[in-house]
Amino acid sequence: MSEMSNTFPHQKPVNIGFGILIVLLYVFLMAPLVMIIGASFTNGLMIEFPPQGISLRWYFEFFDRQDLVDGLLMSLRIGAVTAVVTMTVAMMAAMAGQVISGRLSGWYQLGMTLPLLVPELLTAVGLLFFLYKIQMAKTVMGLQMGHILMSFPYAYVSIAAAMRQVPDALEEASQSLGATGWQTFRLVILPLVMPGLAMGGIFAFINSFDLYTISLLLKPLGGNTLPLALFDFLTYEFKPTAAAAATLSILLSILGVALVQKLVGLQRAF
Amino acid sequence: MTLRNPKLLLAIPAIALIFVFMILPITNMVEMSFRTPGESAPFGDDFTMMHYDRILSDGYYWAVLGRSLLTAGVVAVLCLMVSYPIAWHMSKATGMKAVFLYACIASPLMTGVLVRNFGWMIAAALNGPLNEVLLGLGIIERPLRLLFTQGLVILALVHVFVPFMVLPINNALRNISPTLVEASSSMGASRREVFRDIILPLSFPGIYPGMILVYVLAVAAYVTPALLGGQMVSYMPTLIIGELTGTFQWPFGSALAIVLSLSSILVVVLFTALTSRLMERSKA
Repeated sequence: MSEMSNTFPHQKPVNIGFGILIVLLYVFLMAPLVMIIGASFTNGLMIEFPPQGISLRWYFEFFDRQDLVDGLLMSLRIGAVTAVVTMTVAMMAAMAGQVISGRLSGWYQLGMTLPLLVPELLTAVGLLFFLYKIQMAKTVMGLQMGHILMSFPYAYVSIAAAMRQVPDALEEASQSLGATGWQTFRLVILPLVMPGLAMGGIFAFINSFDLYTISLLLKPLGGNTLPLALFDFLTYEFKPTAAAAATLSILLSILGVALVQKLVGLQRAF
Repeated sequence: MTLRNPKLLLAIPAIALIFVFMILPITNMVEMSFRTPGESAPFGDDFTMMHYDRILSDGYYWAVLGRSLLTAGVVAVLCLMVSYPIAWHMSKATGMKAVFLYACIASPLMTGVLVRNFGWMIAAALNGPLNEVLLGLGIIERPLRLLFTQGLVILALVHVFVPFMVLPINNALRNISPTLVEASSSMGASRREVFRDIILPLSFPGIYPGMILVYVLAVAAYVTPALLGGQMVSYMPTLIIGELTGTFQWPFGSALAIVLSLSSILVVVLFTALTSRLMERSKA
């Protein structure tokens, strides 16, 4: 059989093997998410896949756990602030980026995505010392700044891509018709880049919601984000409550994927 | 330079954010690594080379560093092997199929690393699905203890970084003109030759950034080894965080972080030098 496929390197034998490989690779990609979602609905006392029976008991258990719910609320709050701030700052930075041309433009893009390219660990360690120095260590504000920094590149990349789609001529036309800079922005540019802007906000929110290392080093006294609370829970208790919490987190990311598809299309976003 | 366009001023908040909360702190960390250990504070007032001496003269740190660099290398190579077929398959897809495939890549990407690692914890349980599969295939006879092994750390890290590699390779493959492929096969090139001489070199502009990003991020990955690696095996990031949060040795922890960064930069430089011919071929 293998000899035949060597002499006739035509479609079928190669394609079936490749097809199976591709299916296996997608199974690999999806496996951990499926495990968690499955395990969260168990009726048994252990985290296991496939689950024992079906129930929602561990979701009720999750909402009864003050430490996990507090973590969820903190993550949602920090994520929301991160999204609003990064959208604003990234929008401004993308507009400035429009007027930079040539070689400098590449360096500008690189600089704006720096927090994504430098390992989170380094930034986190540096920030730990720095916040200590400026007396912001172990405060919510310090953690918030860390999240804004780490999520900024995601917002910037989405918004800058949307800005590039806006023809320069539109802005010139608006200005020659007597609109002020602010009017041009609000009435012409903003509506056109809105999908990209919203997508940037979604990416920033979800990135902030998922951050771990930087939160571990910068966490405020007595406060935990959901990933931190979940890590502690997994280390000390390892009950299906964790699977319920993780499923909520997965739902959020699926919601994010769906929104991005609706706003600009996944193919253009990635 | 005079300010030609007042719009440039809009970049100030972003530049300030990155400069004040990233460039300054990392510079500060370099300085911290030369500080003497503190008596009651996390660091002292004087400067010293002692932390670097201690790291470079102790075989233990060399071993941990070597393990971290090697693990990241294995992760990057495995990532490429997993990502290339996926990217290839994705680059051919159109319409709703493409949307579905992008969603399959984006959903894990947008799910937190901790959550995804937790999924592998469930899969790796003694009577969990991974063991069932291995038993079913006859690869093993008794269930293996998979949790807290280096193998599981590598598997989970590959899973974390596959999307980072798939997306650039997919973009590179989509940029290859189909006429080029048709032309070379009509001139008698076999599928293998087309792949080796045309497609692989032209996808290198996607492979290269993917490999580097994955390597650099994998070297410094903390959550995965901390959650799945157990107590027995140390990696540099777990060691660094331990020094900073457990024993409050800030200068020593900084020196470890800098040694780790410099060595991973060295690996990237070596990789770039070794692959420079491939990169040139992709431009030719």
